[in-house]
Amino acid sequence: MRRTASLVLLAFAVFFAALAPLLRWYAFPHLARIPANQYQDMVLEARDATLLDYGTMRAKKVSKVTIVQTLKGDVEAAEKIEKTAGRPVVVWDSLSYVQGPDGKMVSKVPERYIFDAHSQDPVHATGEMVDGDPVTREGIEFKWPFLTQRRDYEYFDAQTRTTGPIHYEGTRTFRGLTVYYFEQTVPWTKVPMPKTMPVQGITPESVARTGTTRWYSTVRKFWVEPVTGAPVYGEEIHKEELRGGSLLGDRAKVTAFAGHVKMREDYIEHTVALVKHNRTLVLALTSYVPRTSLALGLLLLALALCLEARARRPQSPEPSGTADPAPVTT
Amino acid sequence: MRALIAAATGLTLALALVLGISALGSPSGRTSPKPLLTTVPSHP
Repeated sequence: MRRTASLVLLAFAVFFAALAPLLRWYAFPHLARIPANQYQDMVLEARDATLLDYGTMRAKKVSKVTIVQTLKGDVEAAEKIEKTAGRPVVVWDSLSYVQGPDGKMVSKVPERYIFDAHSQDPVHATGEMVDGDPVTREGIEFKWPFLTQRRDYEYFDAQTRTTGPIHYEGTRTFRGLTVYYFEQTVPWTKVPMPKTMPVQGITPESVARTGTTRWYSTVRKFWVEPVTGAPVYGEEIHKEELRGGSLLGDRAKVTAFAGHVKMREDYIEHTVALVKHNRTLVLALTSYVPRTSLALGLLLLALALCLEARARRPQSPEPSGTADPAPVTT
Repeated sequence: MRALIAAATGLTLALALVLGISALGSPSGRTSPKPLLTTVPSHP
């Protein structure tokens, strides 16, 4: 009976001990993935910003500029690309819609970002673009990989259409979460005019004919929750200028936009709550369940060995009664 | 020999469970009908 019990315990011990590495190194990469149908919006604001008045072609101070950023997963496109890519793919269509204090559109820049659903590596396929221009991204954009490391990453900048390092600057605490702080500085770079201009009749081509060019510089800051790789907060010190050409008259340059862009408070709270929830799910796969499973496996193995040892111990003969000591004779 | 069979059974069950769950994965769902926003939402 003891030997059967020890064999059953041994089977369970191996089951739980094997489950630990299988969950961590096989199930985790297969299960921890960005959903292909994700839909997410984000509102960022730049208070006391500087904005170009296209009527007078002069920069003016405005109370607030709002940026609405939407990400929407295209499931059908992802499934189509997956067939040739041979790995799980997410296709995000995004729109950065910038609105002035009067509610009028300042700019809108669409993007299509295609990437591996688990590793976050870019996947190159037809349709990958920024504002209608085909691009070949390197590095990450919007989100870091699961289990983010304390190191620099390559980050794609949509304005310049180039990739540059985003530096790990230390570990911080943000609203109760341990986060990694990353920062990227994009130096003044000549960038294309947006395809959609804020004034009707003005097109990128008509501006180009005047010889005026658009320049951009930014300091990008992200507070990233390392388990999920999700930024819980972001800021950008963003500057844009128009330089040269007949459009500016005798001026060498004019500020098109300058502002310190920050996430809106209600979106920060929403993002932190969402990331805390997702963090628990990822930790369950990478830490909680594998560790518990391994401990249980070792415990059951010890129990199985103990039972087996007791089963193998030779049985002592039954006592036949108390033997009276023999009388001592002299 | 019986111990080896018991260990192999445990290992096979663990493999079957993890491979099964991983193969099921998560459903990809359908593309959201919601549009890319061109207005400022009042809340998340």
